[in-house]
Amino acid sequence: MRSSAKYEAAQSPAALVSTMDRVVSAVLRHNATLLLVLVFCAVAVVGVFVIRDLQTANAEAQNIYAVSVQGLREIGELQFDAQETRRATLYALTTNDSNLQVEYADQSRGADQRVTDGITQYRHQARLPAEMALAERLTHDWANYLSIRDEVLASILEGSTKEAVTLDLSGGVPSFERVRLDLNEVKRLYDDQASQRLGNVVATSRRSALRLIGILGFTFLLSSTAVWAIQRSRMLSAIQLAKLQMEFVASVSHELRTPLAVLSSAADNIADGVVREKADLERYGRVLQNQSRQMTGLVDQILLFASTEDRKKRYVLEPLDVAQIIASLESSTRELIQGAGFVVERHIEPGLPQVMGDLSAITQCLQNLVGNAVKYGAQSRWIGLGVSMGPAEHPPGQEVRISVSDKGIGMDRSEIPHIFEPFYRSPRVMQIHGTGLGLSLATRIAETLGGRLSVVSELSVGSTFTLHLPIVERERLEMTGVASPPYSSKQT
Amino acid sequence: MGRLASLLISVGAAALLLAAPPREASPSAARLGPQQTLPSQPLAIVVNRTNSVDDLSMSELRKVFLGERSHWPNGRRITLVMREPGEPERTTILRDVCQMNESEFKNHFLHGLFTGEILVSPKILATPIGVRKFVFNVPGAIGYLRLSDVDNTVKIVRVDELLPEDKGYKLHVEAARTGN
Repeated sequence: MRSSAKYEAAQSPAALVSTMDRVVSAVLRHNATLLLVLVFCAVAVVGVFVIRDLQTANAEAQNIYAVSVQGLREIGELQFDAQETRRATLYALTTNDSNLQVEYADQSRGADQRVTDGITQYRHQARLPAEMALAERLTHDWANYLSIRDEVLASILEGSTKEAVTLDLSGGVPSFERVRLDLNEVKRLYDDQASQRLGNVVATSRRSALRLIGILGFTFLLSSTAVWAIQRSRMLSAIQLAKLQMEFVASVSHELRTPLAVLSSAADNIADGVVREKADLERYGRVLQNQSRQMTGLVDQILLFASTEDRKKRYVLEPLDVAQIIASLESSTRELIQGAGFVVERHIEPGLPQVMGDLSAITQCLQNLVGNAVKYGAQSRWIGLGVSMGPAEHPPGQEVRISVSDKGIGMDRSEIPHIFEPFYRSPRVMQIHGTGLGLSLATRIAETLGGRLSVVSELSVGSTFTLHLPIVERERLEMTGVASPPYSSKQT
Repeated sequence: MGRLASLLISVGAAALLLAAPPREASPSAARLGPQQTLPSQPLAIVVNRTNSVDDLSMSELRKVFLGERSHWPNGRRITLVMREPGEPERTTILRDVCQMNESEFKNHFLHGLFTGEILVSPKILATPIGVRKFVFNVPGAIGYLRLSDVDNTVKIVRVDELLPEDKGYKLHVEAARTGN
């Protein structure tokens, strides 16, 4: 007998290992999903870069329009107004009517004011040294031209046409030519800046296009890999299932064939009169009885598995005492255990609460575990049967744990995720008779009853399988009553 | 010979400008009737803002408006700006400064241009705005405007040391407008 504290201490690291195994199994099962998540993350990251590039290109294009295109338009207007200033001045020369001359002078002054404003704005916007120097020169040249223009206008209005023409030819024409050249220089600078910005936009667009091509290629590659991985996973699963089913058929055939051969042989001997004595007939009868029961048990197990395939089997749930369950288990496995020469070491906590379940289903589940302990218990001939109470993982609360341990061949950690799969049999135990349905059936029963089955195993040390069963809640018990008729529960 | 031809052309042009028929009295003035007293408004003498002259005596003003003085003290030629015949402002100047009627004024300039005593004939502007802009554009220009038509683009000259809003200022024009 082991102590309770010792048993609990052994359970904690075992639970940790079990959790790790579950995580590893989940990662292996969902590798294709992880690949798709990776693709999504990569696409999102590159998409952010592409969007940022597009925004930069858009801002640059807007900048080109605002600064260069708009600037060129303003320079065009400036050139037009400068010409208008001069044109209106020259128009005043064409008439002797003072009223018309005043009107032309007025037009010239209006145009020159627009030019002056435009030059002032350009000076404020100038950032580069070349721009600032040009702005200074343009301001100076324009002021110079305006002073000559004013003299020309005054001469025209005074009636001194000849003097006005002389003044314009000697001073007005060259000074206006300097202004014209300055404005052309401003335009050239704007052109250069626009070309430079356009080059930036083109470079940004090219970079975005390359990134898009890259991400599309990357996405295509990873998506293809993911699809390939999924298809391969499905194909391997299908192959594995087919293989397991073939092994199952072979195993079941073998399991059925052995008792059938015995039955057939015994029947032949009786029919042929080989066996005549009463004692021999009784011995043959027991053999026939045992083989028939073995066949019946095997067929029952297959039928039970088939009935739980859709996880819709109905059980009659009722409050059960732990002692009642243990008694049922001992009754159903006594012959097996004694026949195999095993010793059962029990550790049952006192005062355990009732559990909710179906007695025959729980017995069937535990019977499978005890059967495995006998089959794989090797030479130790020892089975540990423990019953304790502990916190349940899901749903939160308390649960009763019934564990069946052996000191047999144990299992490798990589095998554990597969042992609850139907038809799975470890390659190491192929020489031991079995269908690969026992643990799968036990798991389905446990889950259908609202519990679960867990395992802790170490190669060449032994295994412990634990059935976790929910306890009967007090209020539920009070509502139901032990003596009240059992109710049925449907678990999917 | 050429100088004579030029002189004749100038005289001819002046004759055409000065011979423009006087405008009829404005309808509003006609409605008021001769017996009604019209409120008067000062008539400002204006020059270009660059002109250094601030003050003119009435006799100097008369010489300027009759073309007997051709240059400012700074040497700039004087350009005389007049309104069209019949305008109340012109009538006021002819009456109070030149002390002539329209006909005497025309004859004076015809004679002066013909004899060469006067170099240029006055410039005729149709509106007070035109007068103001002309004076603004020509540094040697001098003209006249109702005080309400004056702005800071031109400079008002004192007449006998008086500004138009001063008491005793001699140049006043009827407030009723003939339309501009």
